Amino acid sequence: MKKTILYTALFIAAGALFTSCKKSVELDPTHTIGGDELTSVDDHDRIMTGAYAAMRNNALYAGVNGGSVWLSGPDIAADNFYGGSQNLGNLNTLFRWNYTADNTVTEAAWQGAYQVIRQTNLVTRGIDKYRATDATKVNRIEGQARALRAFMHFELLRWWANDYDRNATSLGIPYVEVFDIEQMPARGTVKQTYDKIEADLKAAKTMLSNTDRSIQSTSAVTATNRAYIDSLVVNAMLARVYIYANQLDSAIKYSTLAINARPLATAAQFPQIWEDATSAELIWSFKMFAGNAALGREIYDVSADRASWLPVTALTSLYSGSDVRGPAYFRVRTGRTVLGKYWAKSTAAGNPDGVVDIKLFRTAEMYLIRAEAYARKGGLDVPALADLNALRAIRGAAVGAETGTALQTAIQTERRKELVAEGHRFFDIKRTARVINRTQNCATFCTLASTNRAWAFPIPQSEILANDNIDQNPGY
Amino acid sequence: MKKALVFFALMLPVFLWAQTQVSGIVTDASDAPLPGVSVSVKGTRTGTTTGADGRYSISVPANATLVFSIVGYTNQEVSVASGQFNVQLKEAEANDLREVVITGYTVQNKRTYTGSTAKVAGAEVNLQPIASLEQLLQGKAPGLLIQSQSGQPGSASSVTIRGKGSVLGGTQPLYIVDGIQVTANDFSSINPTDIETYNVLKDAVSTSQYGSRGANGVIVVTTKRGRNAKTVINYDYQYGVQQMPESKLKLMNSREKLDYELNYDRPDGVNPFGWTQAEADSLANVNPDWQDLVFRKSVTQQHVLSATGGNDKTRFFLSGSIFDQQGLVRTTGLKRYTGRMNLDHTAGNLKIGLSTTLGYSKRSGTPENDNVVNTPLNAYRWILPYFTPYAADGSLQLADPGGNYSPLPDLLRNYNTRRQIKGVGAISLDYKIAAVKGLSVRTQWGIDFTDTQNDIYTDRNTQSNTVVPGRNGAFQFATARTFRFTGTSSVNYERKSGDHTFGAGLFHEIVNRRATSAGYTGFGLVGPFKNAAGITPGTPTNSFIPTVNGNQVNDAILSYFFIGNYDYKNKYFVNVTGRRDGSSRLAEGKKFVNYGGIGLGWALTSEEFMANQNIFDNIKVKASYGSAGNADIGGAYEAIEQFSSVTYNGIGGLAISNLRKDQLSWETRTTLNAGVDFTLLKNALTIGFEIYSSETKGLYLNRQLSSTNGVSSILTNMGRLRNAGIELSAAYTVFQNKDWNVNVNGNWTTNRSKVLELDGNNEIIDGISINRVGERANSIYLVRYAGVDPDNGDALYYQADGKTITNQYDPNDAVIVGSFDPKGFGGFGADVAYKGISLSAQFVYTYGYKIYNQARVDIENPQYYTSNLHRALLREWQQPGDITDIPSSFNDFFENTTRFVEKGDYIRLRNVMLSYTLPKTVLGRWKISNLRVFAQGQNLVTWTKFLGYDPEVSSGVLTGAVYPALKAVTIGASIGL
Repeated sequence: MKKTILYTALFIAAGALFTSCKKSVELDPTHTIGGDELTSVDDHDRIMTGAYAAMRNNALYAGVNGGSVWLSGPDIAADNFYGGSQNLGNLNTLFRWNYTADNTVTEAAWQGAYQVIRQTNLVTRGIDKYRATDATKVNRIEGQARALRAFMHFELLRWWANDYDRNATSLGIPYVEVFDIEQMPARGTVKQTYDKIEADLKAAKTMLSNTDRSIQSTSAVTATNRAYIDSLVVNAMLARVYIYANQLDSAIKYSTLAINARPLATAAQFPQIWEDATSAELIWSFKMFAGNAALGREIYDVSADRASWLPVTALTSLYSGSDVRGPAYFRVRTGRTVLGKYWAKSTAAGNPDGVVDIKLFRTAEMYLIRAEAYARKGGLDVPALADLNALRAIRGAAVGAETGTALQTAIQTERRKELVAEGHRFFDIKRTARVINRTQNCATFCTLASTNRAWAFPIPQSEILANDNIDQNPGY
Repeated sequence: MKKALVFFALMLPVFLWAQTQVSGIVTDASDAPLPGVSVSVKGTRTGTTTGADGRYSISVPANATLVFSIVGYTNQEVSVASGQFNVQLKEAEANDLREVVITGYTVQNKRTYTGSTAKVAGAEVNLQPIASLEQLLQGKAPGLLIQSQSGQPGSASSVTIRGKGSVLGGTQPLYIVDGIQVTANDFSSINPTDIETYNVLKDAVSTSQYGSRGANGVIVVTTKRGRNAKTVINYDYQYGVQQMPESKLKLMNSREKLDYELNYDRPDGVNPFGWTQAEADSLANVNPDWQDLVFRKSVTQQHVLSATGGNDKTRFFLSGSIFDQQGLVRTTGLKRYTGRMNLDHTAGNLKIGLSTTLGYSKRSGTPENDNVVNTPLNAYRWILPYFTPYAADGSLQLADPGGNYSPLPDLLRNYNTRRQIKGVGAISLDYKIAAVKGLSVRTQWGIDFTDTQNDIYTDRNTQSNTVVPGRNGAFQFATARTFRFTGTSSVNYERKSGDHTFGAGLFHEIVNRRATSAGYTGFGLVGPFKNAAGITPGTPTNSFIPTVNGNQVNDAILSYFFIGNYDYKNKYFVNVTGRRDGSSRLAEGKKFVNYGGIGLGWALTSEEFMANQNIFDNIKVKASYGSAGNADIGGAYEAIEQFSSVTYNGIGGLAISNLRKDQLSWETRTTLNAGVDFTLLKNALTIGFEIYSSETKGLYLNRQLSSTNGVSSILTNMGRLRNAGIELSAAYTVFQNKDWNVNVNGNWTTNRSKVLELDGNNEIIDGISINRVGERANSIYLVRYAGVDPDNGDALYYQADGKTITNQYDPNDAVIVGSFDPKGFGGFGADVAYKGISLSAQFVYTYGYKIYNQARVDIENPQYYTSNLHRALLREWQQPGDITDIPSSFNDFFENTTRFVEKGDYIRLRNVMLSYTLPKTVLGRWKISNLRVFAQGQNLVTWTKFLGYDPEVSSGVLTGAVYPALKAVTIGASIGL
């Protein structure tokens, strides 16, 4: 009998041991953090770091296969490259302008950009409650978030809108300002998109002018590397937005602010820009480290020596022998001329891997914006030519004396030379001549007429299915 | 006390008959004495058991009938009048209605159980040369669909019971080994020859016992246990050779490829590599056998040593095994070492049980099932056929002129080794409370422990190295440890009173899983070491800064449940289950969910009106209804908004990684099951017929969101899905006498799914698959390909209306063109035995499903003309008037069309075996108790039209990098001492 009691007690104890209450099914994560646990302004700062990290999406700038819609894409879709025999077919759809609504490259870019935007909206979610106690700190964090949000929307506008004019009434892109997964935003007009971009950038500029500390100097190593968005970067963003929007006075104003803050690199410094050995001329240089993706890899994969796309002669012949851009941008390897702009950091030069910082804004572009704005305003060919020749001279190219239409053409040619594979060519043609004429190895894909639907990407099929308020671009 | 009197009164007549002393010997089929057999007088409590020599002696009335019974054997009755006192017992057969059903929590007589289960004896299947035990069950049980997409040693298979009840959630069944939950797809470190039985639980009264984990069915595995018998030591050996199956997808040879490059016009112009005619002529004769360089004939060996025995108090089963399987792909293979000890001890009213196994496996693998260019299983197909693997100086070449990688450097210089230690152990205590007859308590605590260590080495002279930071090789170390304990405690009561028999158990259970992982990747392996010792420490400038990671998740289920059974007159049967499960993974307030089931059964043959027929030996009609859940979805903290660690510019930050899901619950699958079991023609024919309909409520689907929110979908319980089907199984002893035994068997299952509701939406599209209300789940959604326009070589497509043919590809023209899930499947076989010689063959078949052949896309896209291509491209449209099925290379290539959809239907000769058991007369002389030799063939023939190695594709998409299923011939011997 004693034994019975003993055993019975033992069994009941065993059953009740770990299990007496519901605590056993209340378990919290240890290696992630719940959204409810984010309760300080510093957490918002961390989410802002997460927003920058979200830009390291293959679809946006640094691709692995078939991505990089804003860095390599605009050059492949334009007239700077042709397909080589090692082409794996990635980005062929951009070269051939045959993207359809179910195209995965364009879909990934759409989603990737909005993922960055989501992260910026999480930065601003609830940040106002810290404003009373930490106003300048909130300024520093929210200013970056607002500027990045505007910049990403502008990137989307470049591919998905048909027109860039400031007051265009054609379809813009959905401008998303809060984190709420149930939203189904409509596209609105180009004008409405610009309104929001401008408002965010202006607000960001104000905030970033009154911060608790310098934005760039988060640590000694990164003090001068221009990794973050500060008010100077916002000026450059505004300059680019205004030249697209044909707001010439504003373009002149903000490009001037940028030019005055960051002078052009010298001929000696210039090659070092591409090896991350100098920050000269850099306005916003997005940081990439070993282990991150290689830049321009879908054009030329440095580490595998795979030239999927080769530069056309019409481009390479534009550089004179004394032009420092020639050797910095193109190299001869295994018997052919390849894109050499994204070779390696100077520290990895012996074993190049293509992993370098993304130069999102440089002073050279600011010169070209200002030159273009002057030239297009009319009657200001002299300062326009001065800016153009200043850039030409420092790069070692011959200066000119163009005027009128010739000057405007020369500025576009200089943009093509200066900004190759930095994500500009297709858009520059789109907002000026709006016709592409390829002359080399283009088979049946030589001309993109101004009426072609391919000037704008299709809204992804998945978006059309999920969002009742979205409109497809004409022709798709 | 009154009852005792009645009992004695009943017993009284027994003593009135004349008593006879009888004695004899009980043996098994091989004439070995069987100790511990219960010998009783039918209808009385008189009885004895056989001794160690199998002999018994008993005093009985002259007109009595003796009943001989022992677990694992079919009972036998002998009338004393017959004078036959030496009895041979047959081992219980798989289809015997009298066998038991093991649900993991209870053991019930199959005759009285009303649920739907299937049982496969380990001995039936465990000789197949396959490392992962779930694959052994293919074709063996109705309702059980097993698809193994890979022939890589130790790879896991996809297992589905009665159709996929979930679209996004897991569809794998729950695995219970000796009462302990064991991770699915993790069996390469367990020895299949230790398995005694596999019990497959299919209907709701069975699966509701497992509550939120039971919806996909349960496979309850029991391992061998000791017997109250003389110790038997057994040794098994097996040796086999595997070879490649044939692929129906043919590539171009060198001459054809050069012809294609030089003479087939294309947008990019002909002759991409600029061969001169002389070069082309010379290369046309260069034809290295790339397949032969990557694959080999490989060898499998297995040794198993086991010992079993015991006495009436303590019984044991011990085993040890070595399994060594080379892969068909060079450098791959699996080595496994296992040990097991199962102990049972009885001390009065207390029973102690122990089950432990420890396995160690080492697997050398190669990547598969992807379409990455440097995966060797892709590279050998994509490389130019006239490119030679070795340069003139004998060194390995890395890539051909088209930039296609040679498979050999990656295959031969890199390695990916997985070492795994797996322990499954449980201790149980049963105590009969003497004070109350029929009352007992039980507790069992067990663990499933897996420790996996992966060593992945990337050599700097390979193509994989091109994406390695610093590009001087890498060494990755990853360790993952999963520790899951299951603790089950119960109070059980059993009672037989007159015509009423009932049993009931109240259970309490806790399952807690903790999974921890950590790892690092180091770079700069420039020295002699191909392991961690070779890592160059990182500096700010050398790109060799190692990456490290670590993670841990913890989740738990807390449950209370009831299992009851009732039986009236051994004629009418009832089973009842109710369970309440709480999960740590659901949101506060939604954690607890209830499940339950009821089953009814009726043994017609026990009715008086059936007493005079002699066709049917047994007919049982049964029906059940109930629910179980599917908790196999998402992460351990799926319900809460989570932020994960990320970095930018060397600074740590937070990025959203999971959305809040307050309303998330488990899928609930409600199943109605009805069936009839027949045994007829003097037990020669057994037929099982079942019909079922199950409905999944709260089906997990990705509710589509506007991607402008930074997320394109959210996991939501939003749908209803039905799976309905019929299962039929039959086994027939065609002929049986002293020397001959001829049996045939077969089973067939058909399952049809239908999406019933999608929370107001009509359809949800995910890439090329669609779930649409009213259609089969996992339907394929593509634009229909209509061939080639002979005039201009354009690919033609059907518009959505199905009539209009157009040369404009438009994704809006996509329609449903079939489903990835089979309509039907099963197995059939036969065995013939003459004296000691036995020949058996087992076939499996699956039909009514389609496969999207991505591997074919990658060699039929004319843009890949600088790689090797499908031979079909030689039929490419060239000039007006060409009638062909391959469009012009000038035409835009679109892959999301039915051009790449194929039927998967197949029949496969899964196993054929010839064995010989030596006669006793010979064995007696050699002083061994048992000797058997055998030869078998695995997957020797497959009949299919699918263009690839293997139509067993569970996901519906054959991505590429196929590791072909093995085709093996093995020989072996089993010897018992």
